[in-house]
Amino acid sequence: MRALRSAVSWFMPVVPESRVAVLRTVLYLFVIIDIHLFVRDPIPLSRHPELYQPLMLERLFRLPPPSVPLTVTLYLILMVGCLVAAANVLPRLAGSVVAAAFTWWTAIGMSYGKVDHDHLPLVVALWVLPTVGVIADRWRSMERSAQAGWALRCIQISVVLTYFLSALTKIRSGGWSVTSWPESSILLWAIVRRPHGLGQFLLPHPELLHVMQWCSFTAELTAVVVLWLRGRALLAAAVFWMGFHVFTLALLYIHFAPTAICWLAFAPLERLGPWLRRVKARRRQRTGRRSAGHPVSVPRDHTVDSGS
Amino acid sequence: MSVGSLAWRIAATVLGLGLLLNGSLRMSDDVWPFGPMSQYAFSPSGDTTIVITRVEGLLADGRRINLPLRVETAGISRAEVEARIPEITADPSLLRSVTDGWTSRHAAQPALQRVWLVQDQTRLVDGRVGPTRLVELASWELPS
Repeated sequence: MRALRSAVSWFMPVVPESRVAVLRTVLYLFVIIDIHLFVRDPIPLSRHPELYQPLMLERLFRLPPPSVPLTVTLYLILMVGCLVAAANVLPRLAGSVVAAAFTWWTAIGMSYGKVDHDHLPLVVALWVLPTVGVIADRWRSMERSAQAGWALRCIQISVVLTYFLSALTKIRSGGWSVTSWPESSILLWAIVRRPHGLGQFLLPHPELLHVMQWCSFTAELTAVVVLWLRGRALLAAAVFWMGFHVFTLALLYIHFAPTAICWLAFAPLERLGPWLRRVKARRRQRTGRRSAGHPVSVPRDHTVDSGS
Repeated sequence: MSVGSLAWRIAATVLGLGLLLNGSLRMSDDVWPFGPMSQYAFSPSGDTTIVITRVEGLLADGRRINLPLRVETAGISRAEVEARIPEITADPSLLRSVTDGWTSRHAAQPALQRVWLVQDQTRLVDGRVGPTRLVELASWELPS
């Protein structure tokens, strides 16, 4: 019974709600960037119904096949919904609308043959953020709750699972072998197909590519440990994974931005509001002092030699 | 937190983790967002053939050019074309998805007359990059 209780409290730690309020602002604004830069093809793809192959999700919910009016409507709903939700206004309604619309939008983008795997944490985040409900005072909130803790924990778990499950898939696809992927020519294959980044300089060194494969595979396999790290160790892990994403971006032009942004679920975002207020107050104080240095007229001031 | 509130959160957590594990261990991309993280997850051997699929087009002025398969240049990306290679070789008029997208974004260029679906096939030899050859998979003459 005690084990069950401690498991529940691990899944639902009591944390500051302002952390969720800040994360909402960041992630809903990120969705706007995402639909313009990353999953940006649903509207042009919806012009080609002959290439559409619905995913199970779309078949299960009997979603209509994408058309231009449909995808443009989804786009407009996402734009308005994200702006409202980013302001922490109507968090349940606007958040749920964005979650459903973005899931559909992204599913459409992946119904033409290519499925990406960098959106799991973002999709999970959009579904759990509305469950925290109204946060009075938003960024300034002093409330703490288990509802906020559960939402953040779900996002954290989906971030580390993105890595861990990709290692699991590598083991599965290699016929349940731990060595087949790290010893394969996968990075060479990827660099030949994406010859844009720094990777082409590594083409003559396949042994080095194998070392890199072993490093990334080991990191992915052990990523779940991050859930139990705190303080400096957690910061070090976050810096490592950000470095990993920067490296794959430089090497192959592959970014994992929708996963990377969700690392913020580990950050003490509640400090952002007070920090911004301190910065503003300091600036106000500084401008106040400067104006005190200016010559000002003093009441009843008069010249010494008044001649009177 | 009320009992109901606690209960549905526990149920959602268990269900979500179950779906993700099931997707990674047993399912395919079809069950997105719960499918396996299969990007770059396979293990090509040291003598595999790496293909880059491209579309080339013959313009009315006689030039044969590469039509870059990106959303901003052709309205469709390489991966989507690659996923439909069997369908395109069976019915090359499906290349219309590329020519329509390219034409609408390059109105100032001479008209496209014919397109080819081609592949640069690079062979690996003992885990190192070997020779590359160009292979034609399909061609389609645009209706005038």
